[in-house]
Amino acid sequence: MALCISLCAFAAGAAEQKAQEEIVLHWASIWVGQDSKAPACAELVAAFNEQNAGKIRVVVDPQPDYNAYEQTVRTSLAAGSAPADIFTIKLNPTTELFYQSNLLLDFNSVMTDDWKATFAEGTLEQSERDGVLRSLPMETAILPIWFNMDAFKAAGYDELPDTWEGMLEAFEALKKVGYAPTSQMTGDTNAWTSMIWFSHFAVANGGVNVWDKPFTDKAFVDAAEKIKMMVTQYSTSDAINLGAGGSGGHFLAGRTAVFSNGPWYAGRADLAQTPFFSSIKIANLPGENFNISRLQANICAAATKDKAKLEAEVAFLKYLTSAESIKKIAGASGAFFAIKTDYVPFASLPAQFAALAGSGAPTAYDLEAALGAEATLEFTQQLSALCLGQIDAKTFCERVEAKIDR
Amino acid sequence: MRRGRIPASTLTGRIVFLLPVAVLFVMFFMYPFIFTLVTSFSRWRGIGSMKFEGLGNYAKLLSDPTFRLALRNNIIWALAQGFIQVPLACLVAMLLVRRPRGWKFLRTVYYLPNVISTVALAMVWVAFYNTNGPLNIMLSKLFGSPMRNWLGNPGTALGAIIFQTVIYIGYFMIIILATAMNIPKTLYEAAEIDGASTFQQEIHITLAMLKGTLVTTMTLAMAYGIRHFESTFIMTGGGPAYATTTMGIDLYLKMDALRYSEASTAGVFLILLGTLVITLLRRIFGTDDPMSDVAQ
Repeated sequence: MALCISLCAFAAGAAEQKAQEEIVLHWASIWVGQDSKAPACAELVAAFNEQNAGKIRVVVDPQPDYNAYEQTVRTSLAAGSAPADIFTIKLNPTTELFYQSNLLLDFNSVMTDDWKATFAEGTLEQSERDGVLRSLPMETAILPIWFNMDAFKAAGYDELPDTWEGMLEAFEALKKVGYAPTSQMTGDTNAWTSMIWFSHFAVANGGVNVWDKPFTDKAFVDAAEKIKMMVTQYSTSDAINLGAGGSGGHFLAGRTAVFSNGPWYAGRADLAQTPFFSSIKIANLPGENFNISRLQANICAAATKDKAKLEAEVAFLKYLTSAESIKKIAGASGAFFAIKTDYVPFASLPAQFAALAGSGAPTAYDLEAALGAEATLEFTQQLSALCLGQIDAKTFCERVEAKIDR
Repeated sequence: MRRGRIPASTLTGRIVFLLPVAVLFVMFFMYPFIFTLVTSFSRWRGIGSMKFEGLGNYAKLLSDPTFRLALRNNIIWALAQGFIQVPLACLVAMLLVRRPRGWKFLRTVYYLPNVISTVALAMVWVAFYNTNGPLNIMLSKLFGSPMRNWLGNPGTALGAIIFQTVIYIGYFMIIILATAMNIPKTLYEAAEIDGASTFQQEIHITLAMLKGTLVTTMTLAMAYGIRHFESTFIMTGGGPAYATTTMGIDLYLKMDALRYSEASTAGVFLILLGTLVITLLRRIFGTDDPMSDVAQ
């Protein structure tokens, strides 16, 4: 009896010691639930946990609501703690304030040459601020224009016009056959689809470094005139204050012929069910040779003085950002990443995205990625005022400029 | 036992019973309030240390045209809640208190929107007001009206959002109805003997007896109007061109842009304004304690 008790106590002690040795990492993951990257990420975490059984265990804290999650990250950092051991942010001039926090690990202190080599050219530098690298680039995106070629064919166009003037003529032809040419919107906090169009116009006018210029520059004033024309003449009648759901809904329902969004939209089941799915063409503005892009999600790790935990964080992130892992996620979701892989998408839309992204064209950020949340919100609200005729393009630009934190 | 002295045992008992609430009050109200107050006098973006800013944030807030628009909208909201919703709720309560056929069913129907998610209802209203939505189709068929973008027009957006809150009158109706049902029937019988009409009975008995409750419901309704956020944020996000923005939305968006100090200033302003509205109501209606009905 005494022997049994002693053995049990010994076994329990051993198990406790083993449990103490195991490092648990919490990953506040947005790639869960309905997200197209969720199944692949879940498989990768399970495989990592199996490979590191008894040493490291990654626990996913699901964050299916991205907006709520962003608030959690902000308030958590403001309260003096990291939201989790591993978490993602959208890096832009607003969120780069997080770089001033010592709560986040500076990856430059743990970066090795072979790890560095896995990232696509320039993406690590894009994620660096004043020599500090507090987030690693993960998901990237280009934001081109989507064309429903069935609609264009109905309007008498087998090919897309190669000039802007030609495109406007095509829009007029689309109107005649019952289409609202484009899916514009001035609602939500970023007027998403119109913000993408505006970014294309601005970069076309002022070049890829346009965001360095004051917003009152002619490039932006002219872009404002063009986006006003798009909203008031070439969109649905509910475009003012319309949200992203409504804008996308018009395109999916075949009411509009032209749309704009990132590669993640290509994986939507409702898009695949549309009769025009196979006719969708992805391109930039006619006659322009640049891509509008952004770092869609950067991954962060909590700073820690616990050496073992730090090693565990680095081990997991090296695993997650390996070419093999990214290939699995990209293959399952169609999303794009800042990590180099030999993955080549074969489905039409992802393949078009890959071709455009890999075309070697110069890239420029979109407005939100370049100027941050506050300027984008002002852009959104003042875009409504501009399209309603309350203000002119010059005033529109002055008001946005006033909100840019330079 | 001498008057004016509390025995130690009683005092200890009071402390023990009050302690849990006091701790919660300090943790979840006093501490955040003091922190917000301190932050409002500083420059802080959530990261790093705070820098004393004095009244700079307040001056900036009051000169901000968006905040002034939000303040105006909140005052409209408060007035609409207090002087449209409460009178409507009172009218319905006065009808139901006479127990017409099916009054219990109607009471449930009026209260039902209050148990449905605000988010879900707001989405329904967005669809209702859509350019191709039921409202436009109905108006077009009845009057040949053109299809309007109700939530995209600054002239109609605020009114459209305020209008949808009419379905929430059930909340105030229940409070008023509870009081109205306790009015002694003898008062009505005596008035009837004296030859008072039904209308006179409602004015001189029901409304007179409901005065305290009406002040309470008006206080609750106007306080809601001052801090209104949810349905507007979901339906318009404060747009178009800030036409429907409120102080709550302005505060939220300031936090979104990591402008914690300015958000705190807006928060303090919101608290002060709420206090002012309650105080004014007490003064205007001459009730010492508008919450006395609730306290009872």
